Amino acid sequence: MAASIGAVTSRALHSRRHHRKLLSVGRGLFSGARRLVAEGETHFGFQNVSETEKGEKVYHVFESVAKKYDIMNDSMSLGIHRLWKDILLHQMNPYPGTQLLDVAGGTGDIAFRFINYVRSQWEHQIKQKLKSHQNLSWEEIFKSYQEEELKLPGGSQVVVCDINKEMLKVGKQKAQHLGYSEGLSWVVGNAEELPFNDNKFDVYTIAFGIRNVTHIDQALQEAYRVLKPGGRFLCLEFSQVNNPLISRLYDLYSFQVIPVLGEIIAGDWKSYQYLVESIRRFPAQDEFKAMVEDAGFLKVEYRNLTSGIVAIHSGFKL
Amino acid sequence: MRGRYVSRTLASVLLRRQPQPSGAGAAAAANSPFPGAALRHFSDRQKGQEQPKAFDPALLEFLVCPLSKKPLRYEASTNELINEELGIAYPIIDGIPNMIPQAARMIDRKAQDDEPKQT
Repeated sequence: MAASIGAVTSRALHSRRHHRKLLSVGRGLFSGARRLVAEGETHFGFQNVSETEKGEKVYHVFESVAKKYDIMNDSMSLGIHRLWKDILLHQMNPYPGTQLLDVAGGTGDIAFRFINYVRSQWEHQIKQKLKSHQNLSWEEIFKSYQEEELKLPGGSQVVVCDINKEMLKVGKQKAQHLGYSEGLSWVVGNAEELPFNDNKFDVYTIAFGIRNVTHIDQALQEAYRVLKPGGRFLCLEFSQVNNPLISRLYDLYSFQVIPVLGEIIAGDWKSYQYLVESIRRFPAQDEFKAMVEDAGFLKVEYRNLTSGIVAIHSGFKL
Repeated sequence: MRGRYVSRTLASVLLRRQPQPSGAGAAAAANSPFPGAALRHFSDRQKGQEQPKAFDPALLEFLVCPLSKKPLRYEASTNELINEELGIAYPIIDGIPNMIPQAARMIDRKAQDDEPKQT
């Protein structure tokens, strides 16, 4: 026990020296570093790897963290990730009947929140109608008896798509524990090559997933393809912090605390090292906004959360 | 309008359902938390486990082959989704279809030579 703690702290000390250098270099060459990568090569955290390798490495990262994913999210973000996801749902504001595609949805956080939101919206609508003394159509009364068992209100559906079946397995088990069964589907699929037809979904979300995709532009084009006209693209992702003081604290926390937490809780230092590095490599808010616009989305906006640690990008297919 | 949508999707689900061993389906239904869900799970295959691990045919409305974007056929015997045109089959594991092209397998072309090819 003592030996392992010793090993962890010595690794932490070593990485502090290593990363202090990298941090200063990385910040200086930030946008340049991305362009130094050769053709057919991409980045895996701070390493340069071939594109096929990146896909495999990312797969292995999530395969190994799948079981502890939720616990790690809570401990790393001190539970704040729940707020971020709640804000995403509020911005989405889905009405009953919405078809949602949640890509890189793995353990189903967004999907479950969507279901809760749509259910409470439905109940709210019913209450409003009763308050204003409108008579519920007998269709609606019939549905309110049946809806809970058979389908989600209004025929809402959420499809959770992830490239990693371990993450989906965890998600499916969670769904069974929490009692979500209807209107929820799980599919193993690649965000760059979605197994869905054109113009199918009202909303496409990708929460903390797009930085792991090898070809982000392809994923954005697929998103555009599967959305219905009028559909909304929402991306929740780590981004660049705008405040210099918070930025330093954040960097310190990311590189010193998170990999250590990863080792202690999930027994996997490297995966969480990859995680914090991949956050640094992801384009800044405006650059990503330009990428979303390139895919064809209109009225693209972003919104910073927690001083830019996380940003929600939103676009419409019009 | 919502009512029509619900009944249309229900109708399409019921029409697409293939004949399944009903005994297994009934047992799955008894275990599910909502009695109403018995209608849904009735013809799903049960793998002898507590939770129904069957594939939900309603997904077929959404799913297409990621390569050709053509609709797929659910093959109950091998529990796969088949793209006739390209001759590939996507496996369904634990009720979750695996739509990654690398995971798909080629179907033995010999068996299909006798059937009239549809293009």
